[in-house]
Amino acid sequence: MSATRPELDGAIDRTPDAIPAPGAPIGNADVNRVVLRALAPPGLRFYAFLAFLAAGTAAGGFAWYHQIYSGLGVTGLRQPTMWAVYITDFVFWVGIGHAGTLISAILYLFRSRWRTPVYRAAETMTIFAIATAGLFPLIHLGRVWFFYWLLPYPNERWLQPNFRSPLVWDAFAVSTYFTVSIVFYLIGLMPDAAAAREGTTGWRRRLYAFLSFGWQGSDAQWRHMQTVYLLLAGFVTPLVLSVHSVVSWDFAMAQLPGWHSTIFAPYFVAGAIFSGCGMVMTLLIPTRRLLGLEDTLTAWHFDNLAKLTLGLSLVVSYSYAAESFMAWYSADPYEQTTFAMRYWGPYGWIFWLTIACNSVIPLVLFSPRIRRNLRALFVVSIFINIGMWAERYMLIAGSLATSFETAQWAFHRPTWVEVTITAGSFCWLVMWFTLFTKLVPIVSMTEVKEGLSWLRQARHERATRAAA
Amino acid sequence: MTSGVLVRGFFAGEHDCVHAIRALRAARYADVRAFTPFPSGEVLDALGLRTSPVRVWVLLGGIAGAASGFALTIGLSGGWYPHVTGGMPIVSIPPFVIIAFELMILFGSLAGAVGFVVHGRFPQLEAFPGYDPRFTDDRFGVVVACPPGRDADAERLLRDAGACEVDRAVA
Repeated sequence: MSATRPELDGAIDRTPDAIPAPGAPIGNADVNRVVLRALAPPGLRFYAFLAFLAAGTAAGGFAWYHQIYSGLGVTGLRQPTMWAVYITDFVFWVGIGHAGTLISAILYLFRSRWRTPVYRAAETMTIFAIATAGLFPLIHLGRVWFFYWLLPYPNERWLQPNFRSPLVWDAFAVSTYFTVSIVFYLIGLMPDAAAAREGTTGWRRRLYAFLSFGWQGSDAQWRHMQTVYLLLAGFVTPLVLSVHSVVSWDFAMAQLPGWHSTIFAPYFVAGAIFSGCGMVMTLLIPTRRLLGLEDTLTAWHFDNLAKLTLGLSLVVSYSYAAESFMAWYSADPYEQTTFAMRYWGPYGWIFWLTIACNSVIPLVLFSPRIRRNLRALFVVSIFINIGMWAERYMLIAGSLATSFETAQWAFHRPTWVEVTITAGSFCWLVMWFTLFTKLVPIVSMTEVKEGLSWLRQARHERATRAAA
Repeated sequence: MTSGVLVRGFFAGEHDCVHAIRALRAARYADVRAFTPFPSGEVLDALGLRTSPVRVWVLLGGIAGAASGFALTIGLSGGWYPHVTGGMPIVSIPPFVIIAFELMILFGSLAGAVGFVVHGRFPQLEAFPGYDPRFTDDRFGVVVACPPGRDADAERLLRDAGACEVDRAVA
């Protein structure tokens, strides 16, 4: 199969014949074979990598234990920067999840063909990213055993559920997002789990039989499946926009200079999807190689993903410019001071790192050669991850540090506890993702086959037209 | 499927499968079923299956979710905890819309999933009559329940439509 592997060497032709998607040499049966081959028992290197990630996660767990035992004083959280690394992590990880939803739901509604082999991995990333994000409000609490105080329920402590607070909206939005994402994921997985069930034995067969719910591909099953999948995609689309808008209102609803801005909702949503696209590339490029999925995940798919990333980078860059312009145009001295400190203050290097990683470096994606060079794409995606984390930290900690009263100004310095927990969260996410690449078909066989059918149909129509 | 002889055709392509279904329906076979490795609108169209009652579940779930969102927020804020924060009205509809919106999506999605499970009869613990594991791989299947004496005719129609394999089973 590798001999006929489609590669993108020449210029991209838009006609179906020239699309080097996994079409030309692959038939429906090959799709199952290639994807199920990726589920084969891994080698020692896989376990070694998993052990490394587990060690990183354990280090993060130990740092959290230390924080619980010693109190929040072991972090750099001091007045006035009481939101810093942990809330940055929360916003970052919620945002990472958004690309998965964009690729799986929004591009599904647009009938975008290139998404088909990418979306399962992106969805898997989404679920673990939201789960990781959900840990950070708990970590930030300090006394985690009082987590249930966050829930808006009537209680004897006179803690009234305040539905006018963005923090309560956030609890509803993120938990809804997590739940609906899992439902969407499991329903989409059923046909592939059935295919895996028929191609495996032992405990794997039992696992896939369970996940397939007895799926057999009958007309009635597809009929209900298509309806519910379409409606869920329709639901998830506004949901994903609402979730990061709500997250942005955690900040924008406050009067703080640097936060109180109407651009925050679209700014955060674009940034979230941008960062998620970066993370999808970071995870998928090595996964493609490690699992031997070069035949289904071609450079064509990454080329499209890179174009999407580039477009989002431009939106994010516009948001930076608009935000800065409005700070200047407002003639509000507090706002202007905050922005001046953002550019030239102690956190200035973070701002310029953000601009470099999110606005300047992604411009290389204008080059088709870079977009098709997966090593270059991987490097760009790493910069995007760094840049987006830095942007969140700059917005959150930077704005709090330079509030109205200059006598109160104080800049947050992360401690080893915060750094270790953050690094641990990256290991935690990658660990679960890596584990899942060996447990569930990380490429949707069903949708790839559907895409092949579309490709054949397009070719047939083209040949018919040519003959006529 | 009704009792009688089941005739099953295996197809390599979607279009041959669609032709077979159309031919069988034109020949007045009432009980025709299909298995496909991926969703095919053409197959569903040929079988006359398009709309699913799952959408009603989603609609009702969404309405129930939005209503419960308003009930929760207005009920708790106005009834049990009439607490003024930030000078805002106790019943502040704009922020409550956000909660109602999220619950509308949550309840609508969960109701859709429940409707899917109910109408799709999941979990399906036994194989459907005529199911073959190849239908989850690369083959399209058309299964037709034949009245006595018509099985040879059904078999011919399936072969004429391009079936690469045809077999029979007792339903």
